[in-house]
Amino acid sequence: MLRRLLGLLLLSAAGASVGAAASLAFTSDTLGAATATTPRCTAAGLSVIQNLSGTTVISATVGVLPAACGGATLQVTVNNGTVNATGSAAVPAGGGSVTVTLASAPAVATAEQTDLVLIGP
Amino acid sequence: MRAAIMGLAAIAVGLVAGTGLSSGAAASVTMTSQTFTPYRTCTVTATPVGTTTVVDTTVRQGSATTNFGATNPLTVSSGLALNQRIYLKFDLTACSPAIPASAIVRLATLRLYMTAVPAACRTMDTFKVTAAWTETVITWNNQPFGTTINNPATGSRSGSFNMGSTAGCQNLAAGAYVVGGTVTADVTSFVSGASSNLGWMIRDDVEGSVTTRTATFAAKELGTVAQEPQLVVTYVTVP
Repeated sequence: MLRRLLGLLLLSAAGASVGAAASLAFTSDTLGAATATTPRCTAAGLSVIQNLSGTTVISATVGVLPAACGGATLQVTVNNGTVNATGSAAVPAGGGSVTVTLASAPAVATAEQTDLVLIGP
Repeated sequence: MRAAIMGLAAIAVGLVAGTGLSSGAAASVTMTSQTFTPYRTCTVTATPVGTTTVVDTTVRQGSATTNFGATNPLTVSSGLALNQRIYLKFDLTACSPAIPASAIVRLATLRLYMTAVPAACRTMDTFKVTAAWTETVITWNNQPFGTTINNPATGSRSGSFNMGSTAGCQNLAAGAYVVGGTVTADVTSFVSGASSNLGWMIRDDVEGSVTTRTATFAAKELGTVAQEPQLVVTYVTVP
């Protein structure tokens, strides 16, 4: 009986050492909220012009893009209150303007929202 | 002795069992950020013809008591007792989602489609209106800025652009939207609530020209969507 217990103790100790190597300590500190700034390629006033075909928006031209945004991907989403239309295009290396063709052509409405997201460079 | 050995064995078993609980903890979390620049734009267009979200009209010195709220085109004119001014207003509450009062307006552009340009380059001044007016009532005689020509003074204008068919002028030809109609400061004050949105008045920088100079723009009553007056507001909600 004693031998069995000693054997079990040795096996258990060996297991404990293996387990200790894999374990990490928990602490009980509070996980708090925080904000962090995201780097941006511009804070300029970008111009946005909708290009129409009849009474629908087929593309959007975004201008006043600085060179710092060159190479970024510009994603455009137009929402006329009923449907969304999206598209994306690369900003030229020197900045300037870029025309983004939309995947669909929403009808022009009295008020439309256009979301612009520059990802990168 | 036997009890002590049993106790040690129990602790050892407990340690082994405990490894399964503690092995999932992360030592650290690494976050990286990519350049990400979000903007939002609200474009208000004078469509359909009957919309009240956009109101536009011309007041004419030569027809001082007549309302032209339903008339196309919009006209700016400088002449002897023949001056004409444009009043127009865009209801920004039509924007959905609403532009937050805390938004930072990066650019606001007034877009008017030119249907005729003067033969000489003329400067058009934009003034923020500070008294109420209605599209179907306003006339030359009851307009918010009064009937004195060249009033308000050029120095109080919000912005300006010039147009005419002479070389060097900013906007040379009809058939396009004007370039230079920037009204960012005014829209910033509208959005923040610092001032009421009562629209703008546009007049020739020098009214009372001996030779009448006239510029015309498409009014909402034209009914051609691609030529309707627009206000384009680009903003961010997080600096």
